[in-house]
Amino acid sequence: MALLEVTEVSKEFGGLTANQDISFCLDQGEVLGLIGPNGAGKTTLFNCIAGHFPVTRGKIVFDGRDITPLKAFDVARLGLARTFQIFQASGDLKVAENVMVGAFMRTGSRRQARGRAEAWLDFLEIAETGQYMLSELPVARQKRVALATALATEPKLLLLDEVAAGLIRAEIEGMVTLLRRIHQEKGIALLLTEHVLEMVMALSHRVIVLESGRKIAEGEPQAVVKDPEVIRAYLGDHFVKRAGEASHA
Amino acid sequence: MEAVRNAFDFSDFPRLDLWVAGGVLAFLLVFPALPHSSFAMTIMIQFLMFSLYGMGWNTIGGYAGQVDLGKAQYNGIGAYTTAVMMVRWDVPFWVSMPVGMALAVGWSFIIGYPLFRLKGHYFAIATIATSLILKDVFEVWDFVGAAKGMEIPIRKNLPDFLYLQFKQDYYYYYILLALFLVGLLYLNAFRHSRLGFQLRAIKDNEDVARSLGIDAHWCKIKAYAVATAFVAVVGSFHACYNFNIEPEDVMSLDLSILIAMMALLGGAGSLWGPIIGAAILVPLKSYLGDWLGASAGLVGLNLVIYGGIIMLIAAVQPRGVWGMVEAALARRRGDHGAA
Ligand SMILES: Nc1ncnc2c1ncn2[C@@H]1O[C@H](COP(=O)(O)OP(=O)(O)O)[C@@H](O)[C@H]1O
Ligand SMILES: [Mg+2]
Repeated sequence: MALLEVTEVSKEFGGLTANQDISFCLDQGEVLGLIGPNGAGKTTLFNCIAGHFPVTRGKIVFDGRDITPLKAFDVARLGLARTFQIFQASGDLKVAENVMVGAFMRTGSRRQARGRAEAWLDFLEIAETGQYMLSELPVARQKRVALATALATEPKLLLLDEVAAGLIRAEIEGMVTLLRRIHQEKGIALLLTEHVLEMVMALSHRVIVLESGRKIAEGEPQAVVKDPEVIRAYLGDHFVKRAGEASHA
Repeated sequence: MEAVRNAFDFSDFPRLDLWVAGGVLAFLLVFPALPHSSFAMTIMIQFLMFSLYGMGWNTIGGYAGQVDLGKAQYNGIGAYTTAVMMVRWDVPFWVSMPVGMALAVGWSFIIGYPLFRLKGHYFAIATIATSLILKDVFEVWDFVGAAKGMEIPIRKNLPDFLYLQFKQDYYYYYILLALFLVGLLYLNAFRHSRLGFQLRAIKDNEDVARSLGIDAHWCKIKAYAVATAFVAVVGSFHACYNFNIEPEDVMSLDLSILIAMMALLGGAGSLWGPIIGAAILVPLKSYLGDWLGASAGLVGLNLVIYGGIIMLIAAVQPRGVWGMVEAALARRRGDHGAA
């Protein structure tokens, strides 16, 4: 049974169509990649699914419930968590306290919230950062804290918006390992966007490609990257021609 | 119960803080027994009152980061409820105080619901406006004495603990000190509570907070109600302490700004901040008042000075005096680098 069903979702900002008639499904426990060049509409689609933006048209069903009209906090309570592409580290809360805020979605007890927060920090291999301020940590650690906070809400589905952006190669590999563990050990389905392909390729069972707000391809990662439409979207017409010439030679 | 345990849990403060807090508490307990002038006693009572105002304001203004400049209206509701009930129906303070608190909190829901749809400066301005409108209403409302206000008649047998009337100020002082300690413990539980955490998350980033299941609008309304309850209690107390209340006195814009200043100067979003702010501002304000009162042309200079202090805080240390102290201590301990 599909965990998430997106049916012909469109999102317009004034005259600009950021998402146009996008449909796809995501199964229980699946890892689905959402790729596309900058400005393709990935973040917008996330904001629509997670209830941060009202959709202009279309329908979104999560876990058997129509969540199209729901606000973000109600969607979160149903078990759909997300991380943010732009992530500012500031504020009065220490790292462990930040994660506790996530845990407080499921419990009113500070003792329980703290215990769960510590367990998630431990799971993400950043247990030693608990007493620091977020702004004192390097970016790779900050991203893990954001991940821990989202996970502490105990989601069924986690939406990850460019978690690898700004990381160096070794850190990306660490992140891939972590996400695999989240998926395999915790059974949480993942929907991840990335404009860098390698991470999506390594993790996803299936991939969806967006360009200029439309879905232009869907399928197995290896098949999708060979699709001429996709190559053109990423690299321009020029490269499609060159790729074609190369395969003739 | 966990909330009670949380109220007494100060374990996240460094030992030094707790020694200082213990010393201050000991001083507050014995102060009336020490030799002092009546001016000093007046200042100490005002210090406790403004600490309580500031502690309340800190929930919405400090932890939740919503700059509320309309707290005087709730002070007025508390003060007038107590005065009206005492003058007209002979109701004791301990009954009228919770009634005033309930009325103020009820009014805060009506005001808060639409106001928290506004953001930033618009919210701050709207809080000022609602407070001034309520003051205007009280100034023409005969039932509450209109612009003349209300006067609570002196009772026959003093001291009167039911109606809060005393000849000696130290009675008022100790009652206020008890309220102060209850307020402090309540806030300590508050900052450890789910709502306390959620407010700080909202202050940090509302979109992120929503994605963590937090209904930001509703959380702000709840924090606003807590802040209001604190202010209304002090308002009720003020009516008994002063005998005489009028709109210009209990619901002025000056008072609203002063309430916000306590926490902003001392350190918004920290437990000690409003107390530190009151300890600095209350004596300053009293001396300024005395000093400026002599030269009538300078009325309004106090507002200029408050404005200057706010700009200074914004420029130097947004977390106020407490933020400066913490930063200095952290430097002395030696900077711990990032993990
Ligand atoms: N809040 C908004 N208001 C107006 N336009 C927006 C808003 N958010 C995104 N857009 C526009 O929608 C398009 C898609 O952006 P986005 O979803 O951020 O793309 P991606 O995440 O794939 O890089 C862009 O043209 C962007 O300028
Ligand atoms: Mg994006």
